Amino acid sequence: MIVLAIESATDAAGAALADDDGVLATATVESGRRHTETIAPAVSWVCRHAGVGLGEVGAIALDAGPGLFTGLRVGAATAQGLALGLGIKVAMVSSTEVLAAGLAMAGGGGGARVVAVVDARRGEVFWGTFGQSGREGDDRVGPPEVLAGEIATSDEPLVLVGGGANRYAHLFGGLPGVSFAPAVLARPHPGVLALLGVRAAGAGRTVDPREVVPTYLREADTRVNWESRLAPLGAHRTGSPGQ
Amino acid sequence: MSPGDGGEPRLFLGVETSCDETAAAVVAAPGGKGDSAGTAGTAGTAGTAGTAGTAGTAGTRVKILSSVVSSQVKRHAPFGGVVPEIAGRAHVELLVPVISAALEQAGLGPTGKGPTGKGPAGVDALCATIGPGLVGALLVGVSEAKALALAWDVPFVGVNHLEGHLFAALVDHAELRWPLAVLLVSGGHTMIVSMEGPGRYRLLGQTLDDAAGEAFDKVARFLGLGYPGGPAIEKAAAGGDPTAFDLPRAMMGEGLDLSFSGLKTAVVNLVRANPAASNEDVAASFQQAAVDVLVAKTLRAARECGAGGICLGGGVAANGALRLAMQGAAGEAGLPVYLPSRAMCTDNAAMIAAAGAWQLDHLGPTPLEAPADPSLGLVVA
Repeated sequence: MIVLAIESATDAAGAALADDDGVLATATVESGRRHTETIAPAVSWVCRHAGVGLGEVGAIALDAGPGLFTGLRVGAATAQGLALGLGIKVAMVSSTEVLAAGLAMAGGGGGARVVAVVDARRGEVFWGTFGQSGREGDDRVGPPEVLAGEIATSDEPLVLVGGGANRYAHLFGGLPGVSFAPAVLARPHPGVLALLGVRAAGAGRTVDPREVVPTYLREADTRVNWESRLAPLGAHRTGSPGQ
Repeated sequence: MSPGDGGEPRLFLGVETSCDETAAAVVAAPGGKGDSAGTAGTAGTAGTAGTAGTAGTAGTRVKILSSVVSSQVKRHAPFGGVVPEIAGRAHVELLVPVISAALEQAGLGPTGKGPTGKGPAGVDALCATIGPGLVGALLVGVSEAKALALAWDVPFVGVNHLEGHLFAALVDHAELRWPLAVLLVSGGHTMIVSMEGPGRYRLLGQTLDDAAGEAFDKVARFLGLGYPGGPAIEKAAAGGDPTAFDLPRAMMGEGLDLSFSGLKTAVVNLVRANPAASNEDVAASFQQAAVDVLVAKTLRAARECGAGGICLGGGVAANGALRLAMQGAAGEAGLPVYLPSRAMCTDNAAMIAAAGAWQLDHLGPTPLEAPADPSLGLVVA
């Protein structure tokens, strides 16, 4: 089955196609902050260059987070629209799982436990732990100091992967048994997501588009946006919308 | 071939997620794309009788097949205003059911016909609000509409929310005489626009501080009347005396710009000085002051631009006192008033699809690279 992956959980955004034989095409922007401008063209690009029509896609793989909220919503809405429009389902994969799987596929980790750490901004990180037999517990959110404290009490070797691990490397670096995955693996890769999607879709782990909900792990910030209501009015702009 | 001269009507799916309403709609527009340049050109001749005929061709012949709006009001009410993060989350949760309902009510199915169970639903283009609004809310609708456009291999059209409100009045009215003086008044915007034809706008006046709807929200919050403020004020005002208190009508003698921040402050001062004043009387007096200014400025604008009629758009245009007063004043001035239904005044996707249908024919599709623009302005002359 051909799976189309939508990745926008972190600063990086992209799309990929994969089938049972491997990755067919990948398009990624490493630090694009404007995912809605990137994702739809990326989908179009991978399909065109892999010679795959969207009608041939059997399922969508979505990085459902945890990650940056706006990026997650762009990805979720894109996955919803594609799945609704094509009449197919969505395999939701965790960002930490994409990171851990990327490390494993690259031959890293060496059998050690892996902690995948995503930068959550506002002085916090999301993390998930993966052992030999897969995920150990749910993804969590908290200050990196809390994660560092937990790592300090562990006497096993650990490999940290992800942008959150690199950002707070000063907290984790000195801890015994800790090593870092190469920086090139720091962001969830759409190709890895697509491969995980092929596996998940093959096992029937998919949902209808209306069940696609990002994994936020944090309550909504409920500050009312009084200031932004004074948006510039009828500015003397030229050019039409979208240009 | 000009629109309506033949061919199947084209179907436009509209998506609106700029603030706290999740909306989708299907409208039918005449087939083909014919008179693009002609309509825009002739409609631009302001105020002449000769343009009356062409006025009917652009938004008015759009037929609404479905219009579904899921309001998030209850989710925001505890906070007294729209919470951007809650709005963004709610749009992701509500948009698929809302789009599915809009397709279904229009007699279409997202998976379409055909033996494979896949394929286009019969929709010819996707139109989504691309700005202005809350960026995290806009992105949901824009992303989903782009994805549907990709899935169905049809054009994507990014629509200006303000332009959608301007088109709302056209949908319900067959005969219009350009230019129209349009009062666009909502929680985010208060402006008077001379609409010289679809796509041809001149800004005549706008608020220099708060939007009128924002003043309604803030006064309602101050009086403890609840959220959203517009309906709350209107309800309280129904039981009050609009002449009970003399509140300021800002800038009444000066130009076409408006100001509502002073009125809001005057209400606060009034209540502090008269703790016994009834909420009903305060609400009625406040509403009357706001309505008086909106009506007077719109009438003056209509005179100055030689308008052939007056239109209202935006959430505050659903206010009964404003609708009544505008009809009365325009009637005295001998001008027709085109009032969209209340459902077409508040945020909806039918107006976005209607504006998008016009835009696709006259300006073409929007590239998939297009960003959402939270501070998008109306393109004015």
